[in-house]
Amino acid sequence: MYWLILLAVAWILGFPQASLAQDNAACLGCHEVEGTKISFPDGALDVTINAKKFAASVHKDFTCTTCHTNHTGYPHPPRTATSRRAYQVLAQQICATCHADQAQIFDLSVHGRGVRMGLGDVPLCASCHTAHAVIKPKSAAFRNNIPEVCGNCHADEAVMTRYGLRPVYQAYVEEFHGVTTRLYRLVTPAIRSPSAVCYDCHTAHTVRRVADPLSPVAPGNLVATCRTCHTKAGRFFATAWTEHRAPSLRHSTLVYLVQVFYLILIPGVVAVLVILTGMDMWHWAVTRWGGRA
Amino acid sequence: MRRRGGPAVERFSIAQRIEHFVLLLSFNILALTGLPQKYSGTGWAQRLIEVFGGIEITRLIHRTFAVILMVQGLYHLAAVLASRTRSVRRHDMHLSLQDLHDMIGDMKFMTGRNRERPRFGRFDYRQKFEYWAVVWGTVLMAATGLIMWFPALVTQWLPGVVIPASRVAHGGEALLALFAVIIWHFYNAHFRPAIFPMDPAMFTGKIPLERLQHEHPRELENLEAAGLLPPREPEKADK
Repeated sequence: MYWLILLAVAWILGFPQASLAQDNAACLGCHEVEGTKISFPDGALDVTINAKKFAASVHKDFTCTTCHTNHTGYPHPPRTATSRRAYQVLAQQICATCHADQAQIFDLSVHGRGVRMGLGDVPLCASCHTAHAVIKPKSAAFRNNIPEVCGNCHADEAVMTRYGLRPVYQAYVEEFHGVTTRLYRLVTPAIRSPSAVCYDCHTAHTVRRVADPLSPVAPGNLVATCRTCHTKAGRFFATAWTEHRAPSLRHSTLVYLVQVFYLILIPGVVAVLVILTGMDMWHWAVTRWGGRA
Repeated sequence: MRRRGGPAVERFSIAQRIEHFVLLLSFNILALTGLPQKYSGTGWAQRLIEVFGGIEITRLIHRTFAVILMVQGLYHLAAVLASRTRSVRRHDMHLSLQDLHDMIGDMKFMTGRNRERPRFGRFDYRQKFEYWAVVWGTVLMAATGLIMWFPALVTQWLPGVVIPASRVAHGGEALLALFAVIIWHFYNAHFRPAIFPMDPAMFTGKIPLERLQHEHPRELENLEAAGLLPPREPEKADK
């Protein structure tokens, strides 16, 4: 009896599509259920689809099979990928079908090279764009959230250390650009932050190592990159750069010294003022109640 | 209401009182629009910026009142220079070793080791300290603020590190100014038991001779010597 029901469900799900909505509805019959997963030796992959988010995405008019071309029926064809990561890497080819230009330049980037080298932490298309909730990269929602997207990895000390990098997210959000962008994201989310986000300087799909002379943020190119926004930036402008790191004696020394100066001055001045104020109150209290006490 | 009675002399001219009001207004608005930028990661800062209508409007307000404060500072400088030709009440804010002696003497008095309070001039050491703190603070805030406002221009001559350094100094000095005002100014001009809830001199412009005698006796002597005191009436009982 049980297998009959299963067979019936499979038949319904695999029914040739009469319309887009029907086709997607059939898939969502299973994939909308919270916690739908594929199990791999290196972890489970959540394949739940949030229909609402998908309906708000740029791909809302596609059927599931537009991208998942061989998933026309159930049971699905056997998977060739043997790990979760391999499955996700393969899925990039789906994006590349239409977005070939982006896929090609991504391949040349430091992230693309990492993918080819088989590094497990390196971002794939969906790591930044999501798989099924893709929104316009030019939208305010996407732009204002870029630091958080990059921060998924670039705030993580453990991941960064593996590649000889420093986590830079925290320093960025405390910088002028980062403060501005965060305030746009949280206070006026419908307006694009005019302040630099990660990809304005590092580029998005062609991101390179900072030491790479072709990188727009390589020391030799830095001031030219600043000038894409700060058109009249003076020749020393790029030396304002604190390299996404907290100031210290070795880096941004002047900034560090100013920090230390106020760290001493503020409590010092406050202490003197509190003592003088306390003395005056003491004197008043003694004059007033001293005799009787 | 003993303070109100008795003859009084002018302590602050109407121009000085207007200056104080402009300072009061710009200081508060600058703090209100500046602190949420310094603490942009906190919920209260985000709510405050939301009230102003976003970060751009917050910055516009901040810069507008920064300009107002800077113009007022320049006016003050001109007014001080112009007053140098006056015969009395010049150099009242000059700092000297006497102020240090006064401070030590006052501390001895307050702790009961001296019977007499030092005889202060027109402004005592607390008021002078506050005045010069405002001068120093305004100059520093204006300089660091302008550096942050015009980074492209500044870096044609100065190393770029002055920009992040200015940002740290601007925030540190802001905090220092706020603490100084909350502790020092609020206490000396509002919460001191003798004047609570506030010292009216800055708003009425006048100070009763009786208060002058207690708090600024040397000023009283100077005015007397210059013949600037109103005729003393015999003390009357309050109504």
